Amino acid sequence: MAADPAPRLERRRFLKLVVAAPALAGLAAFASPLLRFLKPNVEKFKIYAPVTNDVARGEAVIAATLGEIPKPWDFKYFVFTQKYPQYTPEGFKAANMPGVVIRLPYKVRLPLQWARTIGKEPAFTESDVIVYSRICPHLGCIYNYVPNWREVTAGYGGYMPPDVRKHALMACPCHLSIYDPADRDVPGRVLSGPAPRPPRTFLFRIDGESIVVTDVEPGGIA
Amino acid sequence: MWERLRDWIRERREKLNLFDETLVARQDNPMFLLGPLLYYFWLITVITGVVLMIWYEPTTTGAFSSIERIQHEVPLGWLIRGLHKYAADGLILTIILRIYRMYFLGEYKKPGELSWMLGFLGLVLGMISGITGYLLIWNQRAFWAAKTVLSVPVYFDQIPIIGPMGFGSMIAYIFLGGPAVGQATITRFYALHFGISLVLLILIEVFFQRTRRKRINMSLAPAVLFLLMLVVISYILPAESGRRADPTRTPLPILSDWYFLALYQYVKYTPPLWAGLGPGLLIGFGMLVPFLDRSKGRRPLERPFFFVVGLMALLYFLAFTTLILFNIAVIEREPFLVMVLTLAVLSGALLWERRYRRRQRAAPPDIAPAARPHAAG
Repeated sequence: MAADPAPRLERRRFLKLVVAAPALAGLAAFASPLLRFLKPNVEKFKIYAPVTNDVARGEAVIAATLGEIPKPWDFKYFVFTQKYPQYTPEGFKAANMPGVVIRLPYKVRLPLQWARTIGKEPAFTESDVIVYSRICPHLGCIYNYVPNWREVTAGYGGYMPPDVRKHALMACPCHLSIYDPADRDVPGRVLSGPAPRPPRTFLFRIDGESIVVTDVEPGGIA
Repeated sequence: MWERLRDWIRERREKLNLFDETLVARQDNPMFLLGPLLYYFWLITVITGVVLMIWYEPTTTGAFSSIERIQHEVPLGWLIRGLHKYAADGLILTIILRIYRMYFLGEYKKPGELSWMLGFLGLVLGMISGITGYLLIWNQRAFWAAKTVLSVPVYFDQIPIIGPMGFGSMIAYIFLGGPAVGQATITRFYALHFGISLVLLILIEVFFQRTRRKRINMSLAPAVLFLLMLVVISYILPAESGRRADPTRTPLPILSDWYFLALYQYVKYTPPLWAGLGPGLLIGFGMLVPFLDRSKGRRPLERPFFFVVGLMALLYFLAFTTLILFNIAVIEREPFLVMVLTLAVLSGALLWERRYRRRQRAAPPDIAPAARPHAAG
């Protein structure tokens, strides 16, 4: 050790380290403001839980009346307006989320378990009316309600439904995901294509004749 | 450790070939014109881009109309926009061709590692610049491409452990400027689109100033010829504007710039998490190729495995692009076929590589050099 010229270098290295540690710590202190420059709604001094303040808020709207969808497989498109946070001087953006109300030929159990996560209780759990968000749960395109299943075999990737599913389907033009709106166990079940889950659903109640949608399952990009 | 890294970089920097500027002697071969051509197209894109900024308006309400005005009313607007678009296309095409040249000629081997990595990074940045650029038109294609592309990182939230913290969504929101495509998205994409090219161009100019190299080793003839070509294309095939973005209607089929089409077909085939991880791995593989390929030779047939991988990537790119152009996708059948085919070809390539190496080892060292041309032929 004594013959080695290394000890002098060791000291220099030690001093470098002593200087480097606070310098790096000082840089780390910029992490939060830097993140907040890019994403202003992150809380101060936090880089964890970065998307908690990005929840969109919508207002209740009458999607359809029961008289508008009297027969099985009748449907009606509607739009649900939501306010999204946006990182501009205004701070928010209103965007329309398209939805579809469908009358099914039989009652299904509504997939509304998500309602508890936003602190609401579904008005009923079984119904032959179901309301889907038309934003494809895959990559956010708007999918279509296709009353005639033959159209699905032509324009949407050649999927041929089995006999029990030869009824109206829902299909997305972007990446050809196909959903069954009337599946008894999993309403909106993915029949074909890359979608990872059934479409998101709306929470709704029935006021006399009108179907009033109040909330939509959170997630995805509008 | 630091010293070794510094030496490694210094050694590569001396042989750095950003635009093939050290390969001037081989310019009679058009393959080595790709480097200077790349710089030339880039310069045209940046200059015309800055000129377009005079008339372009980066707002959701004004963007599409301002593009229409540039195209139809502003004197020579069509030319500037055409040059911008087609030079950018040319830029991407040149980068791709150049990357393939570097790949098949083994130019990424020592001391070319850094050149390869920078060239590959250039392709990635060029594609990002492309996608941020065509959102600015604010037409249907742009809107839906931005939305689908930025829905991909949201799925990173499904990755175990780090996923649930929400960093995937955060990445998407930072680029979009919120959880929806809107004004903030245009503003941010505008900044990125402009920033990527200009900042890089400045850095490269500094590099060339300090190393006193020549940037464009291209004679006047090809320079004039290619510019003329761009002008003629802009006149015959004016850059399209499509339809104004409509957030309530998804176009069928949804397409994108030509260099993204293969990726779109891939996205149809895979679960959405892999739509993000797949290209990520591909980029990672591309960047690390110089370190993964430990074979000695530079000729394609002297490293069978990597030769086959490169060939397969090229074929898939062409095949997927063709499939999406004709809107063919049988989701039930094709992903399985592609997977089996890929695995079969890769294992075949591995076997070939092993056989080749064994034969190399079996050959006595003094005969090996003579045997090599035979193996390559």
